[in-house]
Amino acid sequence: MPARNQKQWMADPNLQRGEWVDSRIYSDPEIFEEELEKIFKKTWIPVCHESELSEPYDFRTTTIAREPVIVARGPDNTVRAFLNVCPHRGMMIERRPAGSFLEGQPSGNPKRMTCMFHAWQFDMKGNCVYISREKEGYQDRLCKENTGLRRLRCEVAMGGFVWVCLDDKPECSLEEWAGKPFDCIRESIDAEPLEVFHYHKAIINTNYKLWHDTNSEFYHDFMHYHNRVTGFNDEYFARKNIGFEHGHVNVTSFEVNYDEYEGFESREELSFPKFPPNQWFMIDLFPGMNFNLRGSALRCDIMTPLGPNKVMIEFRGLGVKADTPEERQTRIEHHNSIWGPFGRNLHEDLIGVTGQGATMNDGSEPRRILHGRHEDNYIHDEVGLRHYYDEWGKWMDRLPSDPMQKYTAPAVAAE
Amino acid sequence: MSANGNGAVEAVKDTIYRSCLLLDEEKWSDWLDLCDDGFQYSIKAWSPEINYDMTYFSADHKHLSTMTEQLPKHNTDHSPLKRHSTVYTVDVDKDGKTATAITSLVVYQNMLDGETSHLDSGENHLFLVGKYMDKLKIENGQAKFLEREVRLETRRLDKGSHWPI
Repeated sequence: MPARNQKQWMADPNLQRGEWVDSRIYSDPEIFEEELEKIFKKTWIPVCHESELSEPYDFRTTTIAREPVIVARGPDNTVRAFLNVCPHRGMMIERRPAGSFLEGQPSGNPKRMTCMFHAWQFDMKGNCVYISREKEGYQDRLCKENTGLRRLRCEVAMGGFVWVCLDDKPECSLEEWAGKPFDCIRESIDAEPLEVFHYHKAIINTNYKLWHDTNSEFYHDFMHYHNRVTGFNDEYFARKNIGFEHGHVNVTSFEVNYDEYEGFESREELSFPKFPPNQWFMIDLFPGMNFNLRGSALRCDIMTPLGPNKVMIEFRGLGVKADTPEERQTRIEHHNSIWGPFGRNLHEDLIGVTGQGATMNDGSEPRRILHGRHEDNYIHDEVGLRHYYDEWGKWMDRLPSDPMQKYTAPAVAAE
Repeated sequence: MSANGNGAVEAVKDTIYRSCLLLDEEKWSDWLDLCDDGFQYSIKAWSPEINYDMTYFSADHKHLSTMTEQLPKHNTDHSPLKRHSTVYTVDVDKDGKTATAITSLVVYQNMLDGETSHLDSGENHLFLVGKYMDKLKIENGQAKFLEREVRLETRRLDKGSHWPI
């Protein structure tokens, strides 16, 4: 077909509903705000890994749906999460990204979370243990026993990730939420404690779902020279996308031929515990987290949506805590050569999604974004995207292909 | 410092500054000519977030040579990186055969692609801040790199880069 005029360009594609989405789901500010309320404040979010707070009194801060969150390991070795907000005047209690409460702070004592503003102090269970000039100011009207922090649902699971839910009554337990998609790698990531060895972040102008889309389809391997030369063979095309309840998706494994890329060698020398050499499994969790176990290294992407066209992606690489220095170095090299900020693939993926973000700003004409490839769920089938957006439609009560309409089941089942 | 020592310091500075110009101009092979065959290169950063000294990239001379030849087959951002460097210290060993140097480094990206080249091309973005931690050998009055560690302060790297820093 020749290039199209405006009417032809704006017409629905010759596909079934459910096989495309309207680009307004990536750009509309109202939809974005609704996503924070209806999805991100209701679901389990992995915020960090337990190795980032390995000792009692270690802490890590983060945000979920703009709410500041602090995760701290108590003297009982339990990891707990709280809103990082002082109940007095709403000051953020801890401003650093990570650290230890073992040392005292200018306004407070060791082993306490202290709000620097007026020196209110809290223990690692979130109890308020000190209000400066408590009796003088509040007499018996308000006391520290009634001014604890806001605790949040928190669990350490699936390879030692710290999961937090802002909702006191989540739709289901973490295990019910994410357990099944993790089954394919759980034996490997739970075999022994893991440790994060890589962290960097990208803040880019694109919608968070576009990054998740990229993680959920392998058709874009045409963008990656590395993946084409190390992957495109019969075994690669025999991989399947498998949908799970709650919008999650797995991609099954195959053996990657790293030595087909000039300068690279086979990675069979080192793998994850109980994980066959050179294998690669991928887990895409709704609404926007990704876990990639590729040979010797586990990668985790955690997305923090910042606006309709802005997202922070935190990239982590993990190895086995008991690694020898040589093993650790090998895992780091394997991880970085593809997934590091100077690696072969990550740069290409980020160019791809920022290119999409540039065409889908608020006010851009609504376009149809196609998710209609059917290949029997094999690797270049876009079933992972269809599965995700059917779930998204239910949570949002919006139709992904026409988001100003209420959700109805797609004409094509999201397998 | 002896006259020889002064000469060595100047040779080290000259090699570092020449390397910046060659890297700016993406003359990878010429840059590698300034490096010994046993050259080791790495990009590292301390992360207070995960309390870990990270290696973002590492390669030897052969790997760098192969990689820079392969990268044109990859999709990459076309915006060149431009280095602003100042050699802070040069310490020549007693035997005058090797030296270490610390160079303050700021790298800007001279946008060509950007997000929308119509708007972004021609603009400069701060890409990263760090230091070059170099070890060089000195022979016949000339300095060659033995090791280079790019020690980054920046850990928000957005789209990142395919190219050596």
